[in-house]
Amino acid sequence: MTQPTLALRSVSKSFGMTAALTDMTLELHPGEVHAIVGENGAGKSTMIKIMTGIYQPDTGGVEIDGTPVLLQGSKAARLRGVAAVYQEPMVFPDLDVTENIFISATGSLWLNKSAMRRAAIDLIAKIGMRLDVDRMASGLTLAEQQAVEIARALSQNVRVLIMDEPTASLSAHEAAELRRVARALADQGVAVVYISHRLEEIFQLADRVSVIRDGRHISTRLVTATTPQLMISEMVGRDVGNYFSKMQSTATQDVLLSVRNLGLAGIFEGIAFDLHRGEVFCMAGLIGARRTDVALAIFGITPANAGTIRYKGKHLHAKSPSDAMAAGIAYVCEDRRKLGLAMELPIRWNITLATLSRYLSRLGLVNTQAERHTAADFRKRLNIRTPDAEIPVGKLSGGNQQKVMLSKWLNMNPDLLIVDEPTRGIDIGAKAEVHDLIRQFAAQGGAVLVISSDLPEVLALGDRILVMREGIQMAILDHADASQERIMALATGQEKAA
Amino acid sequence: MNKQSLLALSPQLLRILALVAVTGLILLFFATQIENYLNGRLFNRISSSVAVMALIATGQTLVILTRNIDLSVGSTVGFTAFAAGSLITLMPDLNPALLVAYAALLGAGFGLVNGLLVAYASVPSIIVTLATMALYRSLLVEFSNAKSITSESLPAWLVDFPNLPVISIGDLQVRAGFLVAVTIVFLAHLALTRLRPARRIFAVGSNPEAAAMAGIDSRRVVLVAFILSGMLAGLAGFMFLARFGNITVVAGLGFELKSIAASVVGGVSINGGSGSVIGAFLGTILVDLIDSSLVRWPIVSEFWREAVLGAMILIAVAVDTLFIRRLDRMRAARAHETALAQQGAKS
Repeated sequence: MTQPTLALRSVSKSFGMTAALTDMTLELHPGEVHAIVGENGAGKSTMIKIMTGIYQPDTGGVEIDGTPVLLQGSKAARLRGVAAVYQEPMVFPDLDVTENIFISATGSLWLNKSAMRRAAIDLIAKIGMRLDVDRMASGLTLAEQQAVEIARALSQNVRVLIMDEPTASLSAHEAAELRRVARALADQGVAVVYISHRLEEIFQLADRVSVIRDGRHISTRLVTATTPQLMISEMVGRDVGNYFSKMQSTATQDVLLSVRNLGLAGIFEGIAFDLHRGEVFCMAGLIGARRTDVALAIFGITPANAGTIRYKGKHLHAKSPSDAMAAGIAYVCEDRRKLGLAMELPIRWNITLATLSRYLSRLGLVNTQAERHTAADFRKRLNIRTPDAEIPVGKLSGGNQQKVMLSKWLNMNPDLLIVDEPTRGIDIGAKAEVHDLIRQFAAQGGAVLVISSDLPEVLALGDRILVMREGIQMAILDHADASQERIMALATGQEKAA
Repeated sequence: MNKQSLLALSPQLLRILALVAVTGLILLFFATQIENYLNGRLFNRISSSVAVMALIATGQTLVILTRNIDLSVGSTVGFTAFAAGSLITLMPDLNPALLVAYAALLGAGFGLVNGLLVAYASVPSIIVTLATMALYRSLLVEFSNAKSITSESLPAWLVDFPNLPVISIGDLQVRAGFLVAVTIVFLAHLALTRLRPARRIFAVGSNPEAAAMAGIDSRRVVLVAFILSGMLAGLAGFMFLARFGNITVVAGLGFELKSIAASVVGGVSINGGSGSVIGAFLGTILVDLIDSSLVRWPIVSEFWREAVLGAMILIAVAVDTLFIRRLDRMRAARAHETALAQQGAKS
């Protein structure tokens, strides 16, 4: 066997108490397209960041050409010929294509613009794209921006090119072009790492495929020696016993929300489901399945432009979140840090933020007494572990932050609660508490729409499960018919939509 | 000019052409309003004042390109002008080159303090330079000890140098001070567009995350930008001393805002990453032209001059944003069409 260009040797990496990678070993050979598959959160991003020098392993090491190396920073990795192209490319919008390609080039102090331009044209031609090298990067499509990044990597004599979900946001035509480029690079001796959720793409392109799960390496096989079914079972095949068992359904026959043929041009289409009072309804799928976009449409942030939503028996067309909130819909978003909480502000302020008009005295001032009362109430009910409600939310653990976010929306007394990735990045004890809260809310007559990429969670919570894939509704499964394997088969397109 | 040829020009070049056109229009406008307006003296007056401000605007542009701002340049100009004046008063026989170096180094030192605080202590530049603006001004007050520099105490070569006519065409004189400023702006432009490390300034301002991924040390880039801004302000301090001769503790007051206005009117994006030194230079000329012409325009009272200037800045930025965004959209549409045509041709 040839010497691997890059190898991870028993790499482990933890963030706080969470182990992102455990004893990971992986070899990348020159000239191969090496696909890596795993569920969301399996540790793929951490692995890429270690290969590209952004993170350093806690234990274990990286080898290049059989020699242990210390990759400190992306510059060091690039100098060794390791480069990455992401789903969202990293380009400089105010620079043109040529300047983008040669931004980290070294050489003479003075730039030879015409030589650079010619070299850029050559590189773009080498990957078989057509692109005007004088255009500003701000006007390029995603596919063109990726081409710029690949050209940049080529200009630095790339030996390991990591492509992280490169086709997730591309059209079918663009994706085929990109796969052709990846294959051409491998034929030139580059070791290509290809991370994708599209299993069919892996079978078209890759030579070998590695499955990782929960930060561990599960298997590496030749593509010809595996099947989609085997890959799926390896991706999800965890010890289910450690997780939660299904809670008793409290669903009634009373339809609260009825969605028909909902669509948003170019994003998702044909979404149809009924949501009953007392029901917990889950949406499962992989990154890029567009589940959050459906939630955003219902909540009025990016309204749908096709189909109908009926809510409490009446037509609902929320044009903004305030419309949806007025109707009794709450949306707990997935990104606590960016969209969910004001991290520097006290817990109390965060809890009453969405409902502040209720706390105004006749003079228009905030009645802090009532606020304190509410905060204390939620702290007790949701078991938010904090010395008091006046400290900044950012000081709490992830699980407690999540509870504050739930408090904020439960305080609205909604009828429909939409929760997006409710337990991402929180520990298992807090997870169970959040699940109990969701179930309690449903038992009291509310309806819950849960978006989750965590399959055990989907199975523990969902009375019914809607599986989406790339903007399409694949199926609605009753809990009795659902299994991790079935959901994964639908989410990756191995089982066709009904 | 039709749509296609408009699209073929780079946005930077378009901006510069637009600035030249607007300057021309304003000249024509005032020529109809003010008697005996278009003459050599107008050029002399504006070029003398631009000689100082252009240097400051150049430094300001470098800082703005990195998504920062330097509010301390006015105080730096004042301090260096005073310090250089004191030095030459004490040592009248000092070599002129050493005096220039003294002013530049002093300014660079002030810039270094700003840059270290912004880049390495991660304090936002608006806070850092707001503080150092006051600090450097107070240093000047303390240092000056309530005295002023007067032109009588300065050697003749220094006071004469900025007004030395190098080329004369009738009334119109291209003076040494202006030539020095133009040379520095030109060199800065050449360095910024052609020097490899200069590309990093644009990269850091355009997309800091991508810059980090590309292995660019953005802290160092920001530090260098602030040092250069301070150095250019120091040079401007020297020019200020030479031009006016009389330096008090209020020297350079308000220059920070004028330099920002000049850069922004000149098409430097306040969000960083895009703009040019030439643009900022033309912006300096435009702002000064309007400022000095309004003084002579009887219709506008003194109180409204500031308002007109403010409105100008707003209009320039708004038009620029709308225009460039529109152009971007047109370009994208054209690229899309070409791509479709190519796809069609293939299949």
